[in-house]
Amino acid sequence: MKLYRPATILVGLLFVLLGGITRLAGPDHVYGDDQNLKVVHGTIGEALPFAGSGSTMKVTRIKFAKTIIQSDPSDDDKPFETNGVFIAVEWDAVRGVKDPDSFDPVLITDGGSVYTEVSEPSESRMEFPDAGFASTGAVVFEANPADLKGLTLRMKPSMIFNVYNSEIRVDLGIPTEDIAQQMVDGAVDQYVVNGDVTRVAS
Amino acid sequence: MESLDEVIDAMIADRVIHRHRRIWLLVIALIVAAALVILATGGWKEKKGRVVPTMDAPATVTAGRFEFGFTKAEIIRKPKGEYSEAETVLRVYFTAKNIDSEEHKSESIHNDLLVFVPGGGEDLVDSNGGDCQGLNWDLVYGLPPVECSTKFEVAPDFAADTVEIGVLGEQYKGDNGALGLQEKPYWQSETPVAVVRLKPTVVVDDGKDG
Repeated sequence: MKLYRPATILVGLLFVLLGGITRLAGPDHVYGDDQNLKVVHGTIGEALPFAGSGSTMKVTRIKFAKTIIQSDPSDDDKPFETNGVFIAVEWDAVRGVKDPDSFDPVLITDGGSVYTEVSEPSESRMEFPDAGFASTGAVVFEANPADLKGLTLRMKPSMIFNVYNSEIRVDLGIPTEDIAQQMVDGAVDQYVVNGDVTRVAS
Repeated sequence: MESLDEVIDAMIADRVIHRHRRIWLLVIALIVAAALVILATGGWKEKKGRVVPTMDAPATVTAGRFEFGFTKAEIIRKPKGEYSEAETVLRVYFTAKNIDSEEHKSESIHNDLLVFVPGGGEDLVDSNGGDCQGLNWDLVYGLPPVECSTKFEVAPDFAADTVEIGVLGEQYKGDNGALGLQEKPYWQSETPVAVVRLKPTVVVDDGKDG
């Protein structure tokens, strides 16, 4: 019995070659900087399709605030304060039949900052309702007033496998530093974060 | 058609393989047994001296994405109640600032970035994460430091004149692309940066407000 028959060696070589070929296929496409994501651009008031799921997301209003508080606070709950500014993004979501991918909404700016949503209160969130329903709600971000130019809401689906997909980018209408400053100066003292409200999709 | 040579070769190979079979089995069994014994006795740890600086509070430590300013520590005792067991927690207060000049991204202080070092060869205790206006509150890059605290679970009879808190920092780097990993840098692999020594005060939490 021979241990190394030509066929055995050939199979081994085949595996090595296969490994090389998958490498050549371009690691950039597998791990690259979101080359598989189509960007859907939009502005406030536009219902934008999310990741081919038949669901749409619309930003209805943004509001700048110095403090936030939940709509139904108990005695112990104090307003949340910030050294920067809170930005509340009010949204209107219509759910399609297919379950949309989960996502973490973030705010991005021309200056390169990435602002994430506040972890509390729990009323602040952005989610699609169950199929056949639509809902409205608000999600709050904490931001640095010095970097707000080009403020954009980004909804990037989180994927385990890299498939072709699309992300939403909503221009929140702050084209210059001056406008950003005006928005910060005009921030309300307190923004009440209401929980989301679900209705039947018409 | 196999030749006689090949048949003899195969027979010899057969003998060679089986000759030391018992010894081989014995050796493998011994290795497995040794591994089991070491596992059962808690594994063996490499003992290393401390390789990071030790500072006394108040101290400012820059570690990875955050700049910490340690202020004070409290040992909070909750006496045994009618329906609850006695509990003690070690709470450490600090200010934290996001200094992530690489990604400019809001981030919370993860629970494994601050550890309690009991000393005497005992295992490190992870914190429960940065509590700034709420647990795991995201700190925004570019804003001034924020008051935070974090909690360590300790034994109910825990007492100490000084406690040591280890600060870990993440590094901004990529992985080896030849292994098919992410080459683009990202924040990862926490490494020890410093140890801060604080003198805790004892506080009794009797569950009453004010």
